Amino acid sequence: MCGIIACVGRGDDTLDTLVHGLSKLDYRGYDSAGVALTGSGDDTVEVVKRQGQLDALRRVLETARADGAEPRGTVGMAHTRWSTHGAPSDANAHPHTDCTGRVAVVHNGIIENYQALRDELAANGHEFRSETDTEVIPHLIEELFDGPEYDPADPEPAIREAVARLEGSFAVVVSVAGVETLFGARQDNPLVLGTSPRDAGSAGGERSEPRAGATYLASDVPAFRAFTDRVVYLENGEFARIDAEGWTVTGTDGEVVQTSVETVDWDPEDTGKSGYDHFMLKEIHEQPRALRQCLQGRVDEMGGRVTLDVDVDPERVQFVACGTSYHAALYGAELFRQAGVPAQAFLASEYATSPPPVDDALVIGVTQSGETADTLSALREARSRGVRTLACTNTVGSTAARECDEVLYIRSGPEIGVAATKTFAAQQTALNALALSVAQERRRAGDVRDSLSALRELPGDVQAVLDESNAEALAEEFVGAPSYFFIGRGVHFPVALEGALKLKEISYGHAEGFASGELKHGPLALVTDETPVFAVVTGDGPLATKTIGNVKEVESRDAPVVAVTDGRSKVERYADHVLEIPEAPPRTAAVLANVQLQLVAYHVADRLGRPIDKPRNLAKSVTVE
Amino acid sequence: MTLDTGVVLAGGEGRRLRPLTRNRPKPMLPAGNRPVLEHVLDTLVAAAVDRIVLVVGYERARVQEHFGPSYRDVPIEYAVQEKELGSGHALLQARERVEGPMLVLNGDRVIDPGIVTDVADAFGDRGDPALAVMEHPDADTYGAVRLDGDRVTELVEKPAAGEYRLINAGVYAFTPAIFDALAGTPKRDGELDLTAAISRRIEDEGKPVRGVRTDELWADATFPWDLLYVTREVLHTDRVDEPESEDTLYVAPSAIVHPDATLQPPLVVGPDCEVGPNAVVGPETALGRNVTVGANATVERSVLDADTRVGAGSTLVECVTGEDVTLGANTTVPGGPADVALDDRVYRDRRLGAVFADRVTARGGVTADPGALVGPNATLGTGVLVRGRIDEDSDVVR
Repeated sequence: MCGIIACVGRGDDTLDTLVHGLSKLDYRGYDSAGVALTGSGDDTVEVVKRQGQLDALRRVLETARADGAEPRGTVGMAHTRWSTHGAPSDANAHPHTDCTGRVAVVHNGIIENYQALRDELAANGHEFRSETDTEVIPHLIEELFDGPEYDPADPEPAIREAVARLEGSFAVVVSVAGVETLFGARQDNPLVLGTSPRDAGSAGGERSEPRAGATYLASDVPAFRAFTDRVVYLENGEFARIDAEGWTVTGTDGEVVQTSVETVDWDPEDTGKSGYDHFMLKEIHEQPRALRQCLQGRVDEMGGRVTLDVDVDPERVQFVACGTSYHAALYGAELFRQAGVPAQAFLASEYATSPPPVDDALVIGVTQSGETADTLSALREARSRGVRTLACTNTVGSTAARECDEVLYIRSGPEIGVAATKTFAAQQTALNALALSVAQERRRAGDVRDSLSALRELPGDVQAVLDESNAEALAEEFVGAPSYFFIGRGVHFPVALEGALKLKEISYGHAEGFASGELKHGPLALVTDETPVFAVVTGDGPLATKTIGNVKEVESRDAPVVAVTDGRSKVERYADHVLEIPEAPPRTAAVLANVQLQLVAYHVADRLGRPIDKPRNLAKSVTVE
Repeated sequence: MTLDTGVVLAGGEGRRLRPLTRNRPKPMLPAGNRPVLEHVLDTLVAAAVDRIVLVVGYERARVQEHFGPSYRDVPIEYAVQEKELGSGHALLQARERVEGPMLVLNGDRVIDPGIVTDVADAFGDRGDPALAVMEHPDADTYGAVRLDGDRVTELVEKPAAGEYRLINAGVYAFTPAIFDALAGTPKRDGELDLTAAISRRIEDEGKPVRGVRTDELWADATFPWDLLYVTREVLHTDRVDEPESEDTLYVAPSAIVHPDATLQPPLVVGPDCEVGPNAVVGPETALGRNVTVGANATVERSVLDADTRVGAGSTLVECVTGEDVTLGANTTVPGGPADVALDDRVYRDRRLGAVFADRVTARGGVTADPGALVGPNATLGTGVLVRGRIDEDSDVVR
């Protein structure tokens, strides 16, 4: 899991362009970063790389610049790393080079046959300096450069041959000293191409000067979005060569592939922090807007219908997802079951390796990035058995979106904080609408109508939670507790799991979520007078009554109880603290309750001074299995 | 000197607009179906500034969330005023973010770009501080000004009634020297007014301050009924960003309007709104985002903010709602005029049907006497008659 940005045609701005790109990508990983530049006439590719967050690299580059020794060149690439093979260190940071320094490579993914390649290359005298799988690539290319058929005027055939020998998943970009062309290839890892043709710089009106053409390769669009909005999404097995004049994409057979240039419509500034201390807090506050975008044009309350641009009427449903998205999947599965459709949620990593019988299920992959390797594997496993697949994702043009039969976009805009907040709320909302669209086909019209008005009220209700929340004061009270427990029933069970995950991710505290009824079957042994228990209780129906019973079990162990409630069940009589949410039907109350728990996690972590947007060991989108 | 930077003072709560400002600062209240502050920033964009500094304070998350890091491709930076200690103190918070000459605007007034151009011209190459001045019948409500030709001779922050006829329109141009001037101006009652620093320049130092007479559009939201007036001005002067289907009728493409509903311009219907059969909406009305108007309801000369739901058969005249207000079936707001008590003063004969602040719930059949002010989160039981002021979180039953 790493981020790549590479560019040709930015002239003297090449280094700045790369560093800017890295700053937009560091949500993908941040334990080391590096750049490589070359220009015409160079004998070696200049590489600078450092362990640590991007600032460590920036400092090195600033010192070098002060000494007049910064790397120069008109062709450059850069990388931000999240370790898979080898600890974070300067040596293991990308870019990696061959023995001679002529070839530099950045790579995202895992080379599964790297040990065999490494043994072979080492036997031929190649000297390895890192513990990474990536380093075999430059040495392999070097080996082919030294072969009899190599033509120094055209390195492409050797690079293609090297790529063909790699097994596993990768997005790679290769730079060769003195060559003003970059080469890229992808297999199961994202790589997008950006192009700003010559004289196309008039988008900003009179202020911007016409500029020469430039071409980019990157793991994700934000890396070059400040410079162009014109994007080509590369497919698996495709090979790209880019230079200042443009680009060529070829297939594995070497034939030129006709690509389509798409225009991305979101604003690069969407990724700024705009006055908030953390992206996570900004994104929590963006939820009313994110949910409005998610619902826009999809709900017609007067007509009593949900309109989604997907064509499904499943007999049964299997969800596959990881992490927070898995909690959204559990929530979605519950709603499908309520609509009378048998549905289950599976952890994608388990599903991929030990799949259940699929029958005629619709398999729904929930993945914010659309690039989550485990979820993609599970979806591919399902496809290989001939069933229909649907991707529920935030990322237009992502691998999941392209590989699945149907796509349901959650439309929440880019999310930068590693801990998912607004995308989880939007996943819940989109799956809610999807379940309703299936229910309406089954003529449960009365349910649908009530739920539609609840959906339209949801963005305003989330705003109410944000305006009125006392989560900050409450978090202060519980900072530093040895453990936190979260309980809920039905649609609130996934909320309990998600509340605990959020707290774990960003505060590093120990937290667990349980189905309310499960607490007494073991975990109750962990409950003490120092472990706060958050109970999600809404409405005044039988589920609420039963959860209140569980709250009493906890209360009698003297644990401080925090009720997240709309007040209808009078649970506050048994709770020490209350986080209030507006009255809403259970399926939307689950979204509202979760917002309170997001705020608790945020404020606990903030009080502890944690790096909230970049928790240790985690990455925004996990593209390794 | 080119004025590349626009500074907007958007940190004020707007006490006289309570209870509408319970959850957001005054500049975020609606003018038409967009916040007042958007109109202010439109003016700066028209004046071709390169960057905008928003001084935020009270409920600042609302401003930051709405605008984010840029507005119409002009980058925004935020300066935080932790406490409301006057307009001069607010501007001083922007010091670290401004290097060159700047335009300074109040965030709570819809003004014509012409005013800004006039001020920029007066600022000109000499770089003397400049401010816009206009005639106003209620000069005592605003800061007053005396002019001699194009020079300001006196600025009065809280003038006595009837003595002045020119007011300070809240549009200024300064060099960064204003920051030193502000830092050197003594506070009065713990507050630092921008006008105090300007007065010092005029009176103590005898240096020129340019005043520009203007009579372009200027609509200010000081009192709740002003929101009705500001919205009317916005609708009549083409400041709405939804598509215009006929003269001064603006309907967002995502809105759903029943074919049997009647829309009377000037009117704006925001995104995601639903208007039911036989409803009559307008004229001089703004429906914010995701507003629902039920069957057979009538809404005229009103401003309904986001997520408001108007029950079937209701009548709303000269009504202002906050966000997420739910008015049940047959809610009746017959309209002004009314005597309204605000901030220890009674304002007579104001056109104001009723104000329902954020998240008020009226259960059904509620009637509001003209001028009623219902506080946030209040619940009004069925058939209740409300008059005067209803406190926040109240539960009113018949």
